[in-house]
Amino acid sequence: MHRPDPQKLTEALAARFASPTRSTRLTVVLGRWLALSFTVCFLTGLFSHGLQNPPSWMFFPTSPVWIYQLSQGLHVSAGIASIPLLLAKLWSVYPELLRWPPVKSLSHGLERASIALFIASSLLQLTTGLINTYKWYPWPFPFRETHYWLAWVIFGSLLLHIAVKLPAIMANWNGRAVRAAELKAELKGTGGSPGPGRTDAPSAAGAQGLGPAPGRWSRRAFLAGVGVTTGAVVLTTAGQSFSWLSPLNFFAPRVMGTGPQSVPVNRTSADAKVADLATSGQWSLAVTYGGTRKTFSLADLRALPQYDQELPIACVEGWSQMARWRGVRIRDLVSAVGAPPRSALRVTSLEPEGPYRLMSMPPEYVEDERTLVALELNGSVLDIEHGYPARIIARGRPGVLQTKWLQTVEVL
Amino acid sequence: MNTPTTTKPVTAARAVLGVTGAVLISYGLLGLPTQLGAAHLVGLLTWMALAVLLHDGVVVPLSTLAGAGLTRTGSRLQPASAAILRGALMTGAVVSLITGILLKAQSEARTISALEGDYAANLLWFWAVLVMAAAAAIYAIERAGRAPSEKGDSRQKTRP
Repeated sequence: MHRPDPQKLTEALAARFASPTRSTRLTVVLGRWLALSFTVCFLTGLFSHGLQNPPSWMFFPTSPVWIYQLSQGLHVSAGIASIPLLLAKLWSVYPELLRWPPVKSLSHGLERASIALFIASSLLQLTTGLINTYKWYPWPFPFRETHYWLAWVIFGSLLLHIAVKLPAIMANWNGRAVRAAELKAELKGTGGSPGPGRTDAPSAAGAQGLGPAPGRWSRRAFLAGVGVTTGAVVLTTAGQSFSWLSPLNFFAPRVMGTGPQSVPVNRTSADAKVADLATSGQWSLAVTYGGTRKTFSLADLRALPQYDQELPIACVEGWSQMARWRGVRIRDLVSAVGAPPRSALRVTSLEPEGPYRLMSMPPEYVEDERTLVALELNGSVLDIEHGYPARIIARGRPGVLQTKWLQTVEVL
Repeated sequence: MNTPTTTKPVTAARAVLGVTGAVLISYGLLGLPTQLGAAHLVGLLTWMALAVLLHDGVVVPLSTLAGAGLTRTGSRLQPASAAILRGALMTGAVVSLITGILLKAQSEARTISALEGDYAANLLWFWAVLVMAAAAAIYAIERAGRAPSEKGDSRQKTRP
């Protein structure tokens, strides 16, 4: 009985997927764009993680006020931009998947394994990262921890991939040089060796700027298509982070100016199970320092000097909203119990449970006179969904650390 | 002779990048089990495998099939028109993919001030604008491309 030759089979399959648009030059250009967006995601993600889980050397910038709005807006927008870029990049190298034999040597096997890890991690990271912005969690693993550790795997894989492919990247970095080499190869005739930009497919015309084959598109046209697609997905979603793009916000989960008091809500009072405690007439805020303890009713807090601040609330999911806040300076409350202004705090919410029930506030925010225990938002008393009767608002912190429904403030 | 890609600095750069990359990968892989239990890790691996299967087994073959169809349609068009047609469909497909996930999330996890948009209507409008813009561009290119050839034809007809 005749046994099919796997090499011939995979070659036939590869021929089915062959496209003259594919070339190493195309892959290198897409790889540059993708490496940039992955790097932006990685660095802004580390910044956000550092703010929430600060290592001993962490710095806490409080200026400009929009620093976290910008960094997390960039994080989510670069992640969304990475979706079409990754799809295009993987398309450009798809025939490599069908090469036979799949493993030629130990080093080749290791390289393919690292690429498999890179691709699988990247596809998962972008998909779950996008769906996380929708606050929907259909997967059987914790998002935050997985997102963090996979980020290291992906960025490491990116560096390793660049190391392995550096000769090909360098040979195809300069577009003019690649096109000149391709033209030279074409002039030599079809029997000549392909230029450095080629990876497959005999019809090189499309890749050489001599005009694509009928019905096909050139490398430049493909790249333009990817650029337009990337622009479209970013422009129609980034309006949740950047107000100047909000008129184009068609596909983001959040819209600026929506929600109670024209500010979106992340964790609701129902989620936090605080409605009864927060609306109880018995509510008071306890501030402690060593053996000193003072309690402030809502009337007491309103009787203290009130300050107005225009500050954005910026969420880890990327949305943000500028708002007017009014309340008591946190440093005034710290002084009221005899503590120095440059103190660290532990703030507790009325929430009976949850990862953000307790919040640590480094001294940089405590001494900042713009950090408030806010009692009003946009000209009226805080809505229960925004943390009534009192919440924290500070500059440059993730929304999850702007603790709502305050219960205690401990000076450490 | 050393080529630009095999010089000492390039070799050194490759070594630094490779070692740094391997260290970061190891850090991430070793960190995962410190916060994820066995069931979580199995779930994670399953989702990773599904993501690859879905991409390699469905998304790329479907896009290749669509590309083959477009080659036939596009071969009757000017190269610029064929590129606009492909680019418009690529943009529409990716935006639809993202919006499809958004619509599914909306049916599962809509909350106060989140996922409140009429995304299906927005997607229809997006496609309408995309189709009109692409059609107008293709029409203009085809018309401009036809004009010189028609002139050429008429010149031929006047020759003795």
